[in-house]
Amino acid sequence: MDLAVSDLRKRFGAVEALQGITLEVQSGEFFAILGPSGAGKTTLLRTIAGIERPDGGRVMLGGRNVADVPVRDRNTAMVFQTFALYPHLSTFDNLAYPLREARVPAAEVKRRVGEVAEMLRLTHTLARKPATLSGGEQQRCAIGRALVRRPQLLLLDEPLTNLDAKLRHDTRAEFKRLHRELGSTTIVYATPDQLEALSMGSRVGVLRQGRIVQVDAPATLYTKPDDAFVASLVGDPPINLVPGTLHEDGGGRRIELDFMGLDAQPWRKALAAFSAGTRLRVGLRPQAIWPAAGETQGAGFGARVFLTEPLGDVTILDVMAHGDTRLRMVLPQEQAWQIAVDDTIECAVDVDQICLFAEESGVALHRDRAETAG
Amino acid sequence: MSSREVRSIGVAGWGRTLGAAVISLIYFFPVLFIILAAFKTRADVLAWPIKFVFTPTLSNFVSVFFRVAVEGGQAEATGFGLYFFNSLFIGGSSVLLALIIGTSAAYGFSRFPLRGNDTYLFMILTTRMMPPIIAIIPIFVLFNIFGLSGTYVGIIALYTAFNLPFSIWMVKSFFDDLDRDIEDAARMDGSSEWRVFRKVCLPQIYAGLAATFVFAIILTWNEFVFALLLTGTQTRTVPVQIVRAIGGAMGADWGLLSALETLFIIPVVLVTFALQNQLLRGVTFGTIRR
Repeated sequence: MDLAVSDLRKRFGAVEALQGITLEVQSGEFFAILGPSGAGKTTLLRTIAGIERPDGGRVMLGGRNVADVPVRDRNTAMVFQTFALYPHLSTFDNLAYPLREARVPAAEVKRRVGEVAEMLRLTHTLARKPATLSGGEQQRCAIGRALVRRPQLLLLDEPLTNLDAKLRHDTRAEFKRLHRELGSTTIVYATPDQLEALSMGSRVGVLRQGRIVQVDAPATLYTKPDDAFVASLVGDPPINLVPGTLHEDGGGRRIELDFMGLDAQPWRKALAAFSAGTRLRVGLRPQAIWPAAGETQGAGFGARVFLTEPLGDVTILDVMAHGDTRLRMVLPQEQAWQIAVDDTIECAVDVDQICLFAEESGVALHRDRAETAG
Repeated sequence: MSSREVRSIGVAGWGRTLGAAVISLIYFFPVLFIILAAFKTRADVLAWPIKFVFTPTLSNFVSVFFRVAVEGGQAEATGFGLYFFNSLFIGGSSVLLALIIGTSAAYGFSRFPLRGNDTYLFMILTTRMMPPIIAIIPIFVLFNIFGLSGTYVGIIALYTAFNLPFSIWMVKSFFDDLDRDIEDAARMDGSSEWRVFRKVCLPQIYAGLAATFVFAIILTWNEFVFALLLTGTQTRTVPVQIVRAIGGAMGADWGLLSALETLFIIPVVLVTFALQNQLLRGVTFGTIRR
């Protein structure tokens, strides 16, 4: 079932939780909503589900406006962040609850609960109450309760937030598998974790203060963020955002940073409207900076290392570039092992990975198409 | 290995256990004294120092139910059975009624707040702020006008009304502590509002309801002033009868009184004991984040 949301608005007192959200999710798609806490993710899901009434705008499910369709007739299931299992009922009764409310015959209930329990490895917990289940089991129980009705739209509200790191990793893979197995079920997955959004969503919508900032495939979000907010949300460690100024000289335009200069040529069209002296924000991915072996191919700088975080396979370096600009870089272990705190290193920057943003609005200034190809 | 034995947290040592036992005994002593006195002869009751070792007798319990008016005459029933039944019936039904009405009201106040919800709640509570004795005259007059004096309907209605504010407040706090997501989950799972209440909310606060029931039944069971003025010979409750038993031609019969009280305590002890697990969960409800 496809989902279309248009100009959705919701207000709680003085807080405008949703400020005109427009979204389209294809049938069978795994759509991730990424946003920091308080961005309105939960409100958006609850409004789609019908638990909250929107103050304006429409929710269309399978091409039908569901404004007057009660929650239970929307063919939609939701997994809550808190799991919201019925604490007084056993796992079996939790899983059976939606079926019983739909007056499914007892034998059929038993069969389908058995099926779901099998799929989610909950069979051994069927007689137990939620309080006695582990975090992972509780979460699978919550998912099972959502799936047992075979909903056409599945809403997941930060389902991994309450799990520990190891379990999160396993469950991410589980969700992808589940999505494949369910086939036509549309999934909308809200999360504050960019890793979850990027790794699972076929498309990701970035939500900021009740507005959708960008909807794109994960790779596009990473390489071509529409604004500085998206850029800083996506990628780990987060992108380095440093101030720069547009300069005009005889040969052409340059972007001057405190610690290095950049040729502005790739952004010629995007920067056409800006005059010299305009302040910009320059985004450097930590992965796009590395110690220069010799020459620095135009873009590079010297820096002093002041913190190293070895993570096993990679090391995160915090360096202080000229002009007291703090930058992060990520290096594979074999390149990082000989670098120590207080070393001075030469760094090279991959110019193709640099993102440019307007200073005030944070809007991205995308490089001209022709130049990127070259 | 340290030479000093380290006690794990959560296990009290013998010293503390003993201390707790001594303190408990001090508090329990009046009750113990009454229970012992119930089995004593008239002479033993009045003996000083207090006798802890004596030959127990059931004569007090017999005279709770049967009284011999004239020496050597026919024993006649005291009507205690009826009063005991009255206490159970009046207390039980008024507390149950208050709980049913109170739970409905509490759910409404908690989940479907009115404009000025808190004001209503406050006003409900104000009815319990004044001493009941202040309300007794208007209530007495009203009862006479409507012919409710001495009837079950009258006293049950009155006790229900007096238990309501407390029940509403207590049960509302239990509803307030529930996780609303669970109710939303039930709505998504296809429950109507009624079934959200009946199948999801209510079962979660059974412990709280039990606690409310026990507190209300204790208050009602022991109520004296209204019972004294508004019950008749047929609807009299045990507390009234106990006081009536204090008088008498030969002065107070402490043995008889103690027997009355011992019998009187039993139902409350039984109810509290039966519900003690629920009670503990009920009074600590919501204090631990799950």
